[in-house]
Amino acid sequence: MKVKEFMTTNIESIDHKRSVYYGIERMVNRRIRSLLIRFPGKEIEYGVITARDVVFKVLAKGIDPKNIIVSKIASKPIVAIDQNMDFKEVAKIMEESNIARAFVCDQDRIIGLVALMDVMSATIIAKARGEYVS
Amino acid sequence: MFLEKVFSRGKKEKEVIGDITKQIKLLCTACGFFKTALETDNLSLMRQVMDIERAGDSIRRDIISRIYEGAFLPYLRPDLCKFVEIVDNIFDLLEDTGYRYLDLKLPEQLRGECIQVAFLNRRICEMLLITFESMLKGEDLREKILAIRIYEKKIDDIKLDLIRDARKIEITNFWEGEILSQFLSCLTSISDVIEDASDHLQVIHVSMK
Repeated sequence: MKVKEFMTTNIESIDHKRSVYYGIERMVNRRIRSLLIRFPGKEIEYGVITARDVVFKVLAKGIDPKNIIVSKIASKPIVAIDQNMDFKEVAKIMEESNIARAFVCDQDRIIGLVALMDVMSATIIAKARGEYVS
Repeated sequence: MFLEKVFSRGKKEKEVIGDITKQIKLLCTACGFFKTALETDNLSLMRQVMDIERAGDSIRRDIISRIYEGAFLPYLRPDLCKFVEIVDNIFDLLEDTGYRYLDLKLPEQLRGECIQVAFLNRRICEMLLITFESMLKGEDLREKILAIRIYEKKIDDIKLDLIRDARKIEITNFWEGEILSQFLSCLTSISDVIEDASDHLQVIHVSMK
């Protein structure tokens, strides 16, 4: 099964100078666990922050999320995959890179997100459809 | 083994099974037409969904008649009829969704998510067919039914996003808003009924073990 068939298109990006608090607000409002962070440059560069980053790098350390900007805790560069990639390949990349989510691209444009749960669901569906070969 | 015996016994049984398979395949076709019509804003293709619904209705009547003319053991008949009725409800819901589409101008900012739901509806129908065919072979249905539930959950997630995005659209006329709301509601309810159908297949499967 191809990534574009089962990716999440509910993605949100914010500017790198925004506060972590603003990021938390966006995540809560959109019911998402990660945010794309836009960095300036000749071509826009992206980073990512997750709920895990917010908790471990800010809240657990007693830092006020209003006083820290997202670029301080963002991971960069992001792992991007092609929309036509198979879920089995994605699982391999996620395992090798030790990441829980990868961004899906249509050429240079980010169009979606694939998280571990999506990989698990897609694998179960592929198996049920008889497409899965171990 | 018992299932295989039950389903492959007589001529009437074979005809009923053939017709149920045809009914589900027709549903897959209707969902495919619906998705393409939505993608291309093709109203004449959307009207064909209604024609397919009528063909589905006729198959349903044939199946029910054959069952009550004596196909299958009496204790199996109500469950099979109920399954066929649930599949027919999916046709009805798809038809209603199509009619709403013909009546409205779908805001472009919602089209992408609507197409994604239509695509998943098609996929979930195919999964229903796979589940039905597996039941005929007497195979375990757990994996297939889980796949249907995953699809349904995915559509539920998109539904929440659709509602959120729909709220941002300015509505100037009551009926415009009402029809858009009905369209979104029908479109995202199709998978619920397909899930009901798959649950009913599981009931039939278990009751015959």
